[in-house]
Amino acid sequence: MTFRLLPRRHWQIVVVTAAVTCFPVSPGAAQPAAPEVVKTLCAGCHGADGNSVAPTFPKLAGQSAAYLEKQLLDYLAGRRRGEIMASILPQLNKSDVPGIAAFYAAQPIQPAPTENAKAAAAGKKIYDDGNVDSGVPACGGCHGDKGEGNDRYPRVGGQFPAYTLIQMQEFKSGKRNNDKGKVMRAVAERMTDAEMQAVSEYLAALK
Amino acid sequence: MACFAFAAAVSLPSQAADSMPGYIWNEMYPEKLQALRAQGDAKRGAVAFEGCQGCHRAGALGRVDGSYPRLAGQHDTVLIKQMTDVRAGIRENPKMLPFADKEALSVQEIADIAAYLRSLPPSTDNGVGPGDRLARGADLYTRDCRSCHGANGEGDASRFYPRVAGQHFKYLFREVVQIRDGGRRNSDPRMLNAVRGYSNDDVSAVADHMARLRAPISAVGK
Repeated sequence: MTFRLLPRRHWQIVVVTAAVTCFPVSPGAAQPAAPEVVKTLCAGCHGADGNSVAPTFPKLAGQSAAYLEKQLLDYLAGRRRGEIMASILPQLNKSDVPGIAAFYAAQPIQPAPTENAKAAAAGKKIYDDGNVDSGVPACGGCHGDKGEGNDRYPRVGGQFPAYTLIQMQEFKSGKRNNDKGKVMRAVAERMTDAEMQAVSEYLAALK
Repeated sequence: MACFAFAAAVSLPSQAADSMPGYIWNEMYPEKLQALRAQGDAKRGAVAFEGCQGCHRAGALGRVDGSYPRLAGQHDTVLIKQMTDVRAGIRENPKMLPFADKEALSVQEIADIAAYLRSLPPSTDNGVGPGDRLARGADLYTRDCRSCHGANGEGDASRFYPRVAGQHFKYLFREVVQIRDGGRRNSDPRMLNAVRGYSNDDVSAVADHMARLRAPISAVGK
């Protein structure tokens, strides 16, 4: 028996079919199942699909995997601190981090539009244009026009306003200081409480 | 290679700078030399520029209100000089410093950003002035500015003279006033001498002229 049994183009079909069967990764494919650690350690607060129900716990759905990995590693290394996360860190292994990050990154975020339309409108202006007088850059310059983020800057769209606000306040006070290049701290220092609140309200509806 | 050619191509800082108290034109401190010698990569620069575009806007077109200058098409040598001068405190710019400082950008990223910006086409929708004293502005430009900034405002990469063509009028006005009045002290002494006697009206006239100049972006970098 030789390979001439099939004409050459037919062998190509066989090879391509085998490749697709072995690596069924394509747009629109079914979401990967949650790793066990997500079910046992994360889902209780952040939700099975990363859409948590209370603003105490940030939504992780649709967050960039690179950002999630960095945050988890920062928690493990003590570069980011939080009382609730501190209680689960003893059960979190470094080797779990990439799987958790990849899973939540693949989940769609469910935005929660605010009822405070006036604040949201003011927030949109700051988000899109910044504040020229005080030197606040447009947030969208880094976080994307729709708050979608990328590998370098986190998704902020769709997040709970109360959570976003606390993060900005903590960057401003320096309590949170694991931002790359001190850049977010520099931005938050220039923002008023009203501006931070307005931006937080605006972001809630973005997806 | 372009990165090695620069040393021969650029002129050394003018000695006259030393005779201007408080003015430092273009001191070749190590970081500036390092950035000028680095091979900038425009693709990496586009990524690093994400941290800048909140102010300088997408495409580096700046803002018509002059708050942030247009950087698209600017010479890479000029951009490197200005970024490193801001980091060194020689160009005092507290608004920009945290985003360009050593924690935020590496020297290589400065070279990358410069390569990226140099390659960007400046559109023709920049802010211009009132347009009522353009003849005066053209006369002043020909007399005092043209020999360094070029007939069409194209600047001179090898001498670190910026492209002024198509820059926002309000930015040009503010910077010339600051250089004249001592608020910006990293300009060539010749620049200071040129505008020392200008009234605000003259600054406005020449800024309006420059904002309306059009020059193609240079085909090659440093």
